[in-house]
Amino acid sequence: MAKRRIAFYLMTIPALLLFFTFHTFPALQGIFYAFTNWDGFGESYDFVGFKNFVNLFKDENVINSYIFTFKYAIVVTILINVISLLIALGLNAKIKFKNFFRGVYFLPNILSVLIVGFIFNYLFSNVLTTWGAKMGSEFLSQNILGNADWAWIGIVIVAVWQGIAFNTILYLAGLQTIPKDLYEASNLDGAGKFREFISITFPLLASFFTINMVLAMKSGLMVFDQIVALTGGGPGRSTQSIALLIYTGGFQGGEFAYQSANAVIYFIVIIVISVLQLKFLQKREMDM
Amino acid sequence: MMKKVIKPMLAGVLAISLLSACGNNGNSEGASSGKVEVEFFQGKAEAKATFDKLITKFNEANPEIKVTQVNPPDAETVLKTRVAKKDIPDVVGMGATDTFSTLSKSGLFEDFTNDPLIKDIQPAYLEMLTNMTGLTEMNGVPFSTNANGVIYNKAIFKELNLTIPKTWDEFMAVAQKVKDSGQNAFYLTLKDAWTTLSIFNPLESNIVGLDFFAQRAAGTVTFKDTYREVAEKQLKVLDFAQKDVFGKNYNDGNTAFAKGESAMYLQGVWAIPEIQKANPAIELGVFPFPSTNDATKNKLVSGVDTLLTVAKSSKHKEEAKKFVAFLLQPDNIKQYISEQKAFSAVTGVTQDDASVADLKESFESGNLVDFADHYIPAGMKVETIFQEFLQKKDIDAYLTKFDTEWDKISNRK
Repeated sequence: MAKRRIAFYLMTIPALLLFFTFHTFPALQGIFYAFTNWDGFGESYDFVGFKNFVNLFKDENVINSYIFTFKYAIVVTILINVISLLIALGLNAKIKFKNFFRGVYFLPNILSVLIVGFIFNYLFSNVLTTWGAKMGSEFLSQNILGNADWAWIGIVIVAVWQGIAFNTILYLAGLQTIPKDLYEASNLDGAGKFREFISITFPLLASFFTINMVLAMKSGLMVFDQIVALTGGGPGRSTQSIALLIYTGGFQGGEFAYQSANAVIYFIVIIVISVLQLKFLQKREMDM
Repeated sequence: MMKKVIKPMLAGVLAISLLSACGNNGNSEGASSGKVEVEFFQGKAEAKATFDKLITKFNEANPEIKVTQVNPPDAETVLKTRVAKKDIPDVVGMGATDTFSTLSKSGLFEDFTNDPLIKDIQPAYLEMLTNMTGLTEMNGVPFSTNANGVIYNKAIFKELNLTIPKTWDEFMAVAQKVKDSGQNAFYLTLKDAWTTLSIFNPLESNIVGLDFFAQRAAGTVTFKDTYREVAEKQLKVLDFAQKDVFGKNYNDGNTAFAKGESAMYLQGVWAIPEIQKANPAIELGVFPFPSTNDATKNKLVSGVDTLLTVAKSSKHKEEAKKFVAFLLQPDNIKQYISEQKAFSAVTGVTQDDASVADLKESFESGNLVDFADHYIPAGMKVETIFQEFLQKKDIDAYLTKFDTEWDKISNRK
């Protein structure tokens, strides 16, 4: 028995140590630096207490990036879940070339975010503008990513296009766990397709819905790569997400400590949201 | 019980130390080959091939030294992270930017004040470096320099019978004539925020002047009171540009200008090789951006494009300096500037390419002024402020923001 336990320790402790060294310890260091005025490379720094945190709440750029990130995350989460659920329903139906379509819809997931971003960047600036000009639309003949009010829509389009692939697969897996006899029974009772969806499919997908909502929201809140590839946070700072602000300010702007404080706050915000989301959605699962 | 815990812990520690041991091996001095390894870190992707040629030449002439070039994308960020982990490259080639200034202030680079290496460097550029860092030490050796002006398409100028403008009014008249002919006077690439700087820099340096920033830091002046003319002229340029200026990026601009889609292109000379790549047959020239109506006051914006410096912490300073001295030799720097269409910081080495002949006068008379944005803290991301302003076109809001952002950054220090 004792020998067996050693084997378990041998399996778990290296991973724990690695995780602590490369993840927990740097995170703790970040919290430590949030209370200093370190620029990220200098020899010395002083402790400044909560000054960084106070300045954060007065910083318009920080507030703007929070507004943008939440607006973006909520829209992306809703769109991804609605569309991928629809696609999953379609792919689960008795259609021809089902496996081929499943493969096609999964394809975006295996492409790198940056590459997809650069391709769309080209499409937005060179292809869509030409089409827009042909249609004679003044608005569509301009690059949407260059417009401070609309650039975020461009990023949403790219994120949704790529994001639905993974969520579709999860919904598809969920749909296959629903026993066939339930549908047979509802058929006998004369339920229509819509009624079937509301009363059987959706309730039985509840746990997959929870997972998909949490995952989509989390990746929406941490958006970074798409923005780097599409707008770089511009025009102005209109599409600067929190993660991008922390990165650019901390590493390029020489405000390492200040952005560490920003990261600490953001860490707390994400924890609170995840916990709330799980609590709410899991309660809903129970109710059903 | 203790024993049971300690054993696996030891195993874990051992595993980690093995890992880090591997890491160390990678960085060893290469002592086995008997050569001194010198790392040359530089950020200009365009210059990689040229530096490689020069390095090969150096390594052949100095068999006991092996220089290797490191040229990562987003080099300034990489450099800062490497500084943070105390792993500074032996020789660094970088622009005279705010990053150089902050790193110098942290005391990371050698002091070249009394070094024979700076003997042949043009004093104007040495002065620019110390003005910018605000230090008495000379922490870098200016190597190549550049110029930011107006690139123009000679064929279009000839066709419309235009001459090179010397004043702001003439400049606008030329732009108007091009516009009247149904063509674009400028091709702006404002999707890339940094390209707003090539409009701002000549305007700021000539209309307001670089002394302003020290006064602003002391709090005796504000952007709001001083910058109105700069702001108006920044906006004015937009009237003569192509459609969808915010949708096009730097690469789009280089290609479009090369295809003759605009008569003028507000960029630095560093864009010329890229334009010529897109259309080798294009006939182009560069003239200084005429910011004011006093032709004698309009100086050419020219700064240190690449400076060379040696890390204080380097274990091979002697070899590193030998490499720097090698790059500064007239024939080597001549090779560099002719391939890169740059200018030399070393006295007596001139750029003779026809495309930049119009700038020769400014260089010879020393009618030069530094890039203004190098004096603005990097944390402000000033180019995004310009981008927003050019889109919203609200001068008051823009200048107020300039002031509040500046104060915000200085409050954080």
